Amino acid sequence: MTATIEKIKSEDTYQINGKTFTSRLLVGTGKYATNELMGQCLEASGTQIVTVALRRVNLDNKGEKTLLDFIDPKKFTLLPNTAGCYSAEEAIRVAHLARATGISDFVKLEVLYDEKTLLPDPIATLEATKTLVKEGFTVMTYTSDDPVMAQKLEQVGAHAVMPAGSPIGSGQGVLNPNNIRIILEKLKCPVLIDAGVGSASDVAVAMELGVVAVLLNTAIAHAKDPLKMAHAMRHATEAGRLSYLAGRIPKKLYAQASTPIKDF
Amino acid sequence: MKLLINGENKDFTDGISLEELIRQLGVRKETVVAEVNRRIIQNEQRAECKLADGDQIELIQFVGGG
Repeated sequence: MTATIEKIKSEDTYQINGKTFTSRLLVGTGKYATNELMGQCLEASGTQIVTVALRRVNLDNKGEKTLLDFIDPKKFTLLPNTAGCYSAEEAIRVAHLARATGISDFVKLEVLYDEKTLLPDPIATLEATKTLVKEGFTVMTYTSDDPVMAQKLEQVGAHAVMPAGSPIGSGQGVLNPNNIRIILEKLKCPVLIDAGVGSASDVAVAMELGVVAVLLNTAIAHAKDPLKMAHAMRHATEAGRLSYLAGRIPKKLYAQASTPIKDF
Repeated sequence: MKLLINGENKDFTDGISLEELIRQLGVRKETVVAEVNRRIIQNEQRAECKLADGDQIELIQFVGGG
């Protein structure tokens, strides 16, 4: 049986712009107490795609170890984000810088509107997606859970559309599963839940909706024991996926006996 | 000449190249991306990229993020 499950899992792949992945958990690299712990958590999570950010080199601490000393770009697909950008121009600039590293042409595009909610600016997000797709990037776009916006992003060529389950870092889980269901019904490109999950059960719920994968960061990095949580998230992603594939029973109002009717 | 590097004014010898600047700053060249006056300079062009007084240089690298 184990062999069969392993086979199912290894054959259950998905693609983003032609690149094939098996792990359905994408993990961020921010907010860890140490880079060593981050490396262990990435390993434990089984992730194949990790998000990274770009910032100025600290000239006072030159020569210090950098993030890439802890993440092997040959082992993981790096997904540079445009976090902290509040206009299409800024986000496009950051994407260009990321690509100039020669390490990845993937971009997790986020163009934010305000600092309190960290909700995306839909108009700027759409504009930046369009430009970066034309420039040959693999564009995975962070968006709200608005089904219309998700469709617009697909129409301009986004390679993956990534609605937030709830606000970034809030740990509230998937607040509007119905919107996610509508998005999944309407879109053909991969849909991922990006942000808002707090626990393993949140991940399982997201996966059971049928999204291709879940992207998270804070839920692991800020857990009391990040390493345990990384393991939990891996299991939850797999459990949620298998549950989705297996197909749940319909919900009923009344009891249905599990034991055959008494006939003696 | 004065260069504005990551928002800080610093003095360097006239006519220094971007490659030499990165070396003198002790920044790891293989993990850094460089912009001069908002234009990205690819690794292989750094040696021939001569800097001028007042140039604005950004040295960027990957850090943790979600």
